[in-house]
Amino acid sequence: MNKKYEQLLAEYLSGELDAKGKSRVEELIATGEIDFMEFRELETIYEELGTIPAPKPATKGHERFYQMLEEAKQAKRKTWFQSITEHIKSLRSALTMPRLAYAVILMVIGGFIGSQLTNDRADIEQLSLEMQTMKELMMVNMLEGSSAADRLKAVNISTELPSADMEAIHALLFTINNDPSVNVRVQAIEALKRWGDNERVREGLVQAITKQESPIVIIELADAMIELELRNGAVEFERLLQERELDYSVQQKLQSSIAVLM
Amino acid sequence: MDSTSDKALMMKVKKGDLDKLGLLFERYNRPLFSFFYRMCKDCDTSEDLVQSVFERMLKYRESYTGSGTFTTWMFSIARNAHIDHYRKVQRSAIPVEIDEERLEVQEDDSAGIDHKEQKKGLLEVALDRLDEEKREIVILSRYEGLKYKEIADILNTTEGAIKVKMFRAMKELKDLVTTLSEE
Repeated sequence: MNKKYEQLLAEYLSGELDAKGKSRVEELIATGEIDFMEFRELETIYEELGTIPAPKPATKGHERFYQMLEEAKQAKRKTWFQSITEHIKSLRSALTMPRLAYAVILMVIGGFIGSQLTNDRADIEQLSLEMQTMKELMMVNMLEGSSAADRLKAVNISTELPSADMEAIHALLFTINNDPSVNVRVQAIEALKRWGDNERVREGLVQAITKQESPIVIIELADAMIELELRNGAVEFERLLQERELDYSVQQKLQSSIAVLM
Repeated sequence: MDSTSDKALMMKVKKGDLDKLGLLFERYNRPLFSFFYRMCKDCDTSEDLVQSVFERMLKYRESYTGSGTFTTWMFSIARNAHIDHYRKVQRSAIPVEIDEERLEVQEDDSAGIDHKEQKKGLLEVALDRLDEEKREIVILSRYEGLKYKEIADILNTTEGAIKVKMFRAMKELKDLVTTLSEE
């Protein structure tokens, strides 16, 4: 086979070739520049490689990993505790009578200012509540906009909201299922993961699986299912694997996600 | 196959939230095990190497920058772990252990096995006979789903070189299968 087509055929085999490239390959086969029989043999070998299985790792690997992680966490805690103790020791050695008196005066002044500010706290709380409502309204309106950049901004605004609001949740779920831009849908999934404790969010993310066409969004949802430990997601992924012809890498991702979720 | 959340999780590990490494382990311990197993054909060594990859991720978490895909970073670590392991094995002159059970199955089944299974067996032997670099490229591309650009980043070479090597590896596999079936 002609050496100048090696890269093109490698791309064809791995599925990295776009429609234009594929028709170029077909043309070269038709004109005989690429030998059809050899091409078919290579394609068959590539396909058959996918049928060679690899064994699963033993469960003892899990135990070893989590033991190692626990040890690392303990070591980290120890270093944190050590640094605090050292800090206190150095403070104690630096504490003299005049410094102590100075600290007490500062505390008294601080206490006085603090008591004055408490009166204004109710006003501040009211103001921040209004700000949050305004942000929500702005987000919902922007999500309905025609520009993908605006809709992305809207999703980013949602990440600034301190608590989960039903209206914001519904708007983001609607975006995941209906927005024409893959980027916006992926960002909406990321944003919703923050409220992963909310039952409506969990339900909505699982329901969104079968509505997706984009491999990127499906993979993002697979990651979200694992992060939020949404076991119902495995059932939807199995359905997707049975009902649709998915890309090889997506199939692999879903199978590994199902194994984690089960 | 990567997503922003892999990066986000690793960034959290970097900032000290070590529990997030557990999620990455759940996601990637199987692909890593399969990579090592296909490279060395030994379950125990593969398990040890998976463990070593996650230990290194923890140890070198500060150096994670988030540039490139997470899988590229992870498989670069995996590749280094594999190279280090074989350097050590060579130094101590311990021969690489081959999974005997696997070989026995191949030999014993030769009588009753159907043609398809036989061809699969030949292809597996052919894959083992490829030189290490070609085998690594085939495994990363075909089984781990990495793009040629990502493999090029891991192997420190150009995308074009990887494509050429992949094509030649496939051709070599085809020829090896033909030779083996004639033996």
